[in-house]
Amino acid sequence: MGAAVRLEGVRVSFGATRALDGVDLHVATGERIALLGPSGAGKSTLLNVLNGSVTPSAGSVQVLGADPAALPGRAARRLRARVGTVHQHLELVGALRVVHNVNAGRLGSWPAWRAALSLLRPQGVAQVAAALEQVDLLERMYERTERLSGGQRQRVAIARVLVQRPELVLADEPASALDPALAGRALALLSGLAAERGGSLLACLHDPALALAHCTRVLGLVEGRIALDAPAARLTPADLADFYGVRR
Amino acid sequence: MSGALERPVPVPATGAATAAVPVLHRSRARWAWALGALAVVAWSLAGAGLFSGEVLNPAGARQFARFAAGALSPDLSGGFVRVLGTSALVTVAYAASGAALAVLIGALGAPLLARTSWGRGRSGWAGWALARALVAVPRGLHEAVWGLLLLNVLGLDPWVGVLAIAVPYGAVTATVFADLLEEVPRGPREALLAAGAGRGTSALYALLPAAAGDLLAYACYRLECAVRSAVVLGLIGAGGLGYQLSLSFTSLRWEQVWSCVYALSLLCVGAVVAGRAVRRRLADPPPAPAGERARGGPRLHRDRLLTAAVAAVAALVAWSWWYLALDPAGLGAERTREQLSLLLAQSWPPRVSGPLLGSLAGAAVETVQMSVVAVALATLGAVLVSGPAARPVHRPGPVRGVLGALLRLGLLLLRAVPAPVWALVLLFVLRPGILPGALALGLYTLGVLGRLSAEAVEELDPRPAQALAGLGAGPAGTWFYAVAPRAAGAVLAYALYRWEVAVRDSVLVGLLGAGGLGAVLATALQTFDRPTATSTLVVLVLLTCAVDLVSARARAVVR
Repeated sequence: MGAAVRLEGVRVSFGATRALDGVDLHVATGERIALLGPSGAGKSTLLNVLNGSVTPSAGSVQVLGADPAALPGRAARRLRARVGTVHQHLELVGALRVVHNVNAGRLGSWPAWRAALSLLRPQGVAQVAAALEQVDLLERMYERTERLSGGQRQRVAIARVLVQRPELVLADEPASALDPALAGRALALLSGLAAERGGSLLACLHDPALALAHCTRVLGLVEGRIALDAPAARLTPADLADFYGVRR
Repeated sequence: MSGALERPVPVPATGAATAAVPVLHRSRARWAWALGALAVVAWSLAGAGLFSGEVLNPAGARQFARFAAGALSPDLSGGFVRVLGTSALVTVAYAASGAALAVLIGALGAPLLARTSWGRGRSGWAGWALARALVAVPRGLHEAVWGLLLLNVLGLDPWVGVLAIAVPYGAVTATVFADLLEEVPRGPREALLAAGAGRGTSALYALLPAAAGDLLAYACYRLECAVRSAVVLGLIGAGGLGYQLSLSFTSLRWEQVWSCVYALSLLCVGAVVAGRAVRRRLADPPPAPAGERARGGPRLHRDRLLTAAVAAVAALVAWSWWYLALDPAGLGAERTREQLSLLLAQSWPPRVSGPLLGSLAGAAVETVQMSVVAVALATLGAVLVSGPAARPVHRPGPVRGVLGALLRLGLLLLRAVPAPVWALVLLFVLRPGILPGALALGLYTLGVLGRLSAEAVEELDPRPAQALAGLGAGPAGTWFYAVAPRAAGAVLAYALYRWEVAVRDSVLVGLLGAGGLGAVLATALQTFDRPTATSTLVVLVLLTCAVDLVSARARAVVR
């Protein structure tokens, strides 16, 4: 299997703070990875490097076989359409109905006229409905997104990635506002989505139990460096205690 | 959950979903307003003669070209620059004293317009409603109309220019001040009243401090507006930059016209930058200096910048008073009172003959059409330029940076030049009628609305748009899904506000010959036909009130 992600010596600085400090990471296609670590460890930055919204100051980045920063406009767009992100702050547009926020996942493949038309007469409703049903939100399809609760919005963001059908799924705390049952389902959906297209998943998680249940590999990030890297199956509670001990 | 609202329907067999897909319910009110607005715009365009051909006047193209060429070679000779400098001082003096008086009127009048000061019950409501209705009269008339009316009473006196600004501005300021005070939470004041404080002192301790920032910010905004109004008053003879502009225009000295335009732009930029600095400071005050405990107990810190700004404004007002040689005795003089009673006696009762009412109705329709065409064009233009004219979050590329700077400069020129001047320019290439007036008003409004829309776009949180770009959306897709839906409400609300302003401004354009109620009023005033002038003014005030009501309803739907 080819590599979905290949990072070598990646550094990212924001002013004086160094968010990523020499990260080497190889992700094979089909891997499902949980990113653990305290807040400020660089987990979100790592995902932002992978989806191309942050360009590292040093090191090399290969995502699905290409460097997102080196590609010209159109090719960069095509690559981005193959990488789907559930952002930590969701980044939905509250003034739009849920259906449009979900459909926004397809903007990478839709021509501009279709995107505009869809705002007047929603396009691809069947797929949107299927995605919303998977996150248990079908009856809110035509509601304005700002009327939804935090947990419901999180599920809209997941539905957006579901209709995007990317090969690499990045998720930043995708279950933070969900109750345990829904959180498990959300993770199962995201890893199922990755598996369905023979793709990979990288998810920042707070809950080690979720990580062990849904991921094949666990990475621990502390102060911009990878401090833990082990297959989930072989990870013992002692390893985790060790890791969480390191950061204290 | 919301099954009562959204009727479930069976999914077609091909659908991927197995449960019932909800049905899209569109907001009927919004669609009705949108279709109504489109119909009104089409009707107004037809009324402006856009579809009847014969709108262009090719013969004027050369004069227009000469005018446009002047933009690159403004008259910067020492003599003319000195003239411009003196004119700018006159304009500033009128603006400062007019705005200061308006703020004073606003502060004194606000308690009369606040709902709470009238007490509860039906009589309180009636008194409040009456006060609000009375204030619609000074509000509904354009500064230029007040200028012409006051000219009849005071003769050639600097008070004409000052009062022409102060009266309508004072009425608006009083209304806004009253609304700002109403928005302050009641609790703290009621606590003071319950503890035995007087009405005045309780307001001083519990109302004013809470509203002070907003009140001061609004006063600054009024000062900025007053600069533009002072220029317009200059056009009708009050002196200053506007007067200089009209002199240069009528003598076809295009280089001088452009020098005036650039001077106006500088003045507007100066006023806006100063006003914005003060408003930013009020909204986001700097923290108190650290280490104050070390130096023996807390001390009272005043914001130096704000103190300096307040002192500067006070000095500016005092200087304007002196510079214009304003004499309060002139207002109470025997002659003024005679003129006023004479004017009132001649003006009452208004003329109500059938033919006059018919022509007034026709003129009112023209005024409405002119304002609708202007705002429709301005809104369309503002939507198109708002994206590129907004300052981007990240450092833009060279092309984008230059384009943005040019657009912002263009918008500045559009709003620095008063609408009547644009009308005169357009008359080179368009046949007379309401179309040049509407286009001129549209250009000016575009200058204002384009800037406001760009600011609305700048204020948006950039992250949702970045998230869409991150999943491969192009510029158009990002605009449709992340920018437009979030900025649309603010832009439409601004457009509706500007429509109210455009109705008032279309009277000004009409005064200078572009048709509508302004033209009727100008003729009546020139022929000393006072009863007709009174009827026209009544129609004008009623029309302004009607437009305010419609605009407020539409804004409520947009929200």
